[in-house]
Amino acid sequence: MSDDVILRVSDLSTRFFTTDGQVNAVESLSLEIKAGEVFGIVGESGSGKSVTARSLIRLIESPGRITEGSIEYRDADLADDLREDHPGAVDGEFVDLLAIPEQTHRGLRGTAFSMIFQDPESSFNPSLTVGEQIAEAVEVQRRASSNPRSTRARTRSSAYSLRSYAAAAVLPGRGYVSAESKDRAIELLQQVGIPDPEQRVDEYPHEYSGGMLQRAMVAQALAGEPDVLVADEPTTALDVTIQAQVLNLLREIQAETGMTILLITHNLGVIARMCDRVGVMYAGEIVERGSLGDVFDRPTHPYTQGLLGSIPDLDAAGGRLQPIGGNVPSLLDAEMGDRCYFADRCPKAMEECLHKPPDYPAAGTDDHEAKCYLADHPYDKSQALPEEYFEEGEGT
Amino acid sequence: MRLTRFLLRRTAQGILVVWGVITLVFLLRFITPGSTIDFVAPLDASPELRQRLAEDLGLNKPIYVQYADYIVNLLQLDMGNSLLKGRPASDVIFARLPATLELAIAATIVAILFSIPLGVISATRRHQPVDYGATGFSLIGISTPNFWLGIMLILIVGVNLGWLPTSRRIIGFGPALELLVFEQRPVGLRVWFEHILLPSITLGTYFTALITRLTRNGMLEELGEAYVEVTRAKGLPETLVKYKHVLRNTMIPIITVLGLQMGTLIGGAVITESVFNWPGLGTLIIDAINSRDWPLIQGSLIVIGVGFVVINIVVDALYMYFNPQVTFE
Repeated sequence: MSDDVILRVSDLSTRFFTTDGQVNAVESLSLEIKAGEVFGIVGESGSGKSVTARSLIRLIESPGRITEGSIEYRDADLADDLREDHPGAVDGEFVDLLAIPEQTHRGLRGTAFSMIFQDPESSFNPSLTVGEQIAEAVEVQRRASSNPRSTRARTRSSAYSLRSYAAAAVLPGRGYVSAESKDRAIELLQQVGIPDPEQRVDEYPHEYSGGMLQRAMVAQALAGEPDVLVADEPTTALDVTIQAQVLNLLREIQAETGMTILLITHNLGVIARMCDRVGVMYAGEIVERGSLGDVFDRPTHPYTQGLLGSIPDLDAAGGRLQPIGGNVPSLLDAEMGDRCYFADRCPKAMEECLHKPPDYPAAGTDDHEAKCYLADHPYDKSQALPEEYFEEGEGT
Repeated sequence: MRLTRFLLRRTAQGILVVWGVITLVFLLRFITPGSTIDFVAPLDASPELRQRLAEDLGLNKPIYVQYADYIVNLLQLDMGNSLLKGRPASDVIFARLPATLELAIAATIVAILFSIPLGVISATRRHQPVDYGATGFSLIGISTPNFWLGIMLILIVGVNLGWLPTSRRIIGFGPALELLVFEQRPVGLRVWFEHILLPSITLGTYFTALITRLTRNGMLEELGEAYVEVTRAKGLPETLVKYKHVLRNTMIPIITVLGLQMGTLIGGAVITESVFNWPGLGTLIIDAINSRDWPLIQGSLIVIGVGFVVINIVVDALYMYFNPQVTFE
């Protein structure tokens, strides 16, 4: 595993401008992912995990918008290509994915990064065969690489006119997907362990089981041999036994190809099983991050401690589960303000937490950081918030 | 294969449906007040003459014999003689049928040509001027009465501007095509086109408006599906995302409505035919009903019934193409 950073997210803010007001789904999020590692983002529903994933591939739909920050991806060739036309987007070997045009960005989807989505059943178009859909992903890359690796050519190749589509509909053998891509789709299905891939390639999504569809989606994501694979809750919709199979599959593929995986889940078990480093997400921010060992064995942030405390432990005889009280706070801008967003649920909240947002002080090792006042201050019981504060808070 | 087996099944079912139509149409004569003889015989006809006429027409036989006769004759494509015109009813109907089919198909083509692109543009440029224009058009199109639109088109395009003829169908599409192929004279096709243009616009406007709306709403709904995001995430060109994936799935409800509307049009567009003096089935049926010309009424209804059945089979076959989850088992 190399220690080179492949993806550098700085101060990313994604907001949704709804009729109820502005929702800060992701707020000043920063993180660095190293090439070849499995980075996990864990958090409750509504903490902004999925929005983070979609921000990375720039698929935030109206009324949402990425309002601030940069997502820098390291690719020396791409940086050279873009340096001339978009000097603002290039910093050394890094390219800011938010500063390049949509067309260029689309050319990167599939090769630079691809994504696995939560619900395999709804992630395939029901009226096209699974093979056709995987072959499309292959074809996108085949067409991009058949041109010299230059951004301009990439842009042109990824544009596909309505006229060529109409011609393909009328003339045989002029379709978008070539026979080579179809063959590659069979190989990919084989690679993810689908039995009888030659036959399965021509079947429709409703003829697959959920677990097989998720494998097929992994195959589709692998089509462009991506550097970074973003897996958004890849196992949530699956049975427990199938979950383990899909995770093993991701592991094997990662071992084979050395690609980087950003794994997003609410399941701590999945994180523990898969990840090298972890970021714990709460209310649109990463509140604690570090290596798996640091975060899971020496959690610093009370929220992380709470999360880990709410896992059933078979060894601790007679111990009771300790759930975190309360709910994820509203992310409406008007209700947020300058404070620690976890304070309302935090058993160790102090006066200080209500007045200023915590920073990222180091907690122990270099790599381990927690966004909490307690990370570099001792807990002072005299400063603790009075009981009444929480009782009042429960109603909201 | 799958399609052949399906077509055989549906044809068998279709024959049953047509048989039902024939039976109903046959019984219709007996539950309608007024005897056919009153319309055929002169007002001062003697009872003997009336008796002779009834025997000639087979009206004095028991109903089941008449029914059996009717079916046997129909199997030989004999629908009886039109009481009004004295010619075989089938001749009269099949002389009118091409005009109706031409108009129905032309109106459908007008509708498809304009509505689907308009709906797609409207959905993909949501809340932009084009979208407001398209939604406005479809609202107006749905609420414009046919007869008014026809008359206005005649007045403006036909009379004031003098660009197009205002009524009648001088030449059918078949003869016009023959003229072009055998005598290399395109003039027939031009005359045919000039005459059918205004009626098909009149008939197609409501149709266009309806399908535009359906396309727009269907596209918007499909665009919200999760698989759209996935196809975008894999970097597929937007053209393919929109047309190969989204529009294809939107086609399923559109085909349903297209089929239903075409079925209605085959029954003849009475108002449009009247306004443009178009010699179609619609006006023929109205005339036949007014004069109690039973063989003609029955024959027309059966032809329309067969038309409906055929369209439904085609629509179901198209479903199978657009939606692989449909199996018809």
